[in-house]
Amino acid sequence: MVNKRLLLFRSLSYFGAAFVTFSCTAIFLFIIIQGLPVLNLRLLFGETPPLDAILGIRPVWEGIWPALVGTLCLVLLTTLLAALPGVCCGIYLARIAKGGLKAHLSLAIDLLAGIPSIVMGLFGFVLILALRHAGWQNATTCILLAAFCLALLVMPALVVATRSAVESLPPTLSLTCASLGFSEGQSLRRVLIPASARGILGGMILAMGRAAEDTAVIMLTGVVVNSGLPAGLAAKFEALPFFIYYTAAQYGDESELQRGFGAALTLLLLSALLTGTAHLCQRAVTRRFRGYR
Amino acid sequence: MEFCAEIKNLTVRFNGETVLYDITANFAKRGITVLLGRSGSGKTTLLRAVNRLNENFPGYEGEGSVRIASAGAMREIYGKGAPEAARIRHGAGMVFQSPNPLPLSLKKNMLLPMELVLGIKGAEAEARMEKYLRGVGLWEEVKDRLNAGALSFSGGQQQRMCLARILALEPDMLLLDEPTASLDKKSSEVIEELLKKLEERMPIIMVSHSLAQAKKLGAHFKLMSGGRIVKEFEREELPRGKDTETFLEELL
Repeated sequence: MVNKRLLLFRSLSYFGAAFVTFSCTAIFLFIIIQGLPVLNLRLLFGETPPLDAILGIRPVWEGIWPALVGTLCLVLLTTLLAALPGVCCGIYLARIAKGGLKAHLSLAIDLLAGIPSIVMGLFGFVLILALRHAGWQNATTCILLAAFCLALLVMPALVVATRSAVESLPPTLSLTCASLGFSEGQSLRRVLIPASARGILGGMILAMGRAAEDTAVIMLTGVVVNSGLPAGLAAKFEALPFFIYYTAAQYGDESELQRGFGAALTLLLLSALLTGTAHLCQRAVTRRFRGYR
Repeated sequence: MEFCAEIKNLTVRFNGETVLYDITANFAKRGITVLLGRSGSGKTTLLRAVNRLNENFPGYEGEGSVRIASAGAMREIYGKGAPEAARIRHGAGMVFQSPNPLPLSLKKNMLLPMELVLGIKGAEAEARMEKYLRGVGLWEEVKDRLNAGALSFSGGQQQRMCLARILALEPDMLLLDEPTASLDKKSSEVIEELLKKLEERMPIIMVSHSLAQAKKLGAHFKLMSGGRIVKEFEREELPRGKDTETFLEELL
């Protein structure tokens, strides 16, 4: 009887593992097969000479370079806006908050996590209307607004990741710090946070991934089809997911659709690059903290 | 007799449950004081009352007075006007039952507390690290592996590292919570030898489960039961020879 249950459980686990592996491989293969043939400099820069495009000397009309840069800027700006409050809120929940306040704040984070991204986009849009109504006539949708709304969207992931990373540290660790005569701040800064860096950066990677792929929020808060490189915080911008969405919805011929797949593959590579960088950062931070050589 | 700690009417509760009942006791400055008693008799809580570590556990409530010797004077460590808890814990260094290295390299385990607590860095800190690692007889064993994770060393080595780490902060006294409970016989003996030497230099209060160890090291004994000190006696009052352990056993 017991063995049968174990067998069932094992089969289910194997099935789960196989299912995830298979789906993942299938999606990756599909995008790579469709996108790889068109993944070249022409896809990125169109007719513009690559160096001129990268330096911003000449605008790119036919390529996805502005969208790639737009997405990169958007992700970095979002991370910049979300990281500090997200991590601090997670630490607050894990180490400082007590009783009812903790419960209420956790609930608020859960609610925030449950907000659909289109609603968040709508919020950004309405925010601009409110600002205009309040007398700021020039307020308009832009990359800063998009990043702000995205930051709200991805912050819960960061809060939860930070909180669980700090909470899952062994309780003896903070006791050890206290017994050595470290102040609460010293233990947090020098031991507890570095020791949970892996989990915190994991949350950061998740947040960045989410910011890179989201389309609904930016659609209402400042993305456009053709604006060139983002010209500043108050400028409109292009983004890869929006380009993919737009192409999928409106393509005229087969080659345009192919460019959509090329953009999808580019977005995938960009995500991989961001994840890889974050991973390297995490390893460097951990090694430095631990003092291993 | 001079004292390193004076406890008066100390009561400690956790989540409303009383763990220490109105304890009044003095701890001698010279010679190791051993706290004896069965599990749950409140030994560890009493020890932690001396460096205010009880406050770091949930549901703590305490009243009464604890004064410890620091810089030649007795100083109250609870209530208004008391120094910060971190300062007190620096003065009364603690070693735990099981080794508790930080998840860092052995070297950083030694250097980080010196930097944070004393503000000592660089060559001075490294010299001090070597001095105290030599003091616990660990230097020769670990000098080529200073950058390896502290958790990769044996239990006995880790515990000696913990002792060196606390000694490097030059505390006024040592609080030991069954420092050899998780070690094998040989490692225990090494630690016991160290404690015998340290006894000359600073006051030591130690919780011990091992009667043999208590007999070997203790100068003063306090027997605890049900959150109270039920008996206090000196080394001289112990019967000689083999009967000592039986005598202690019967007391418990």
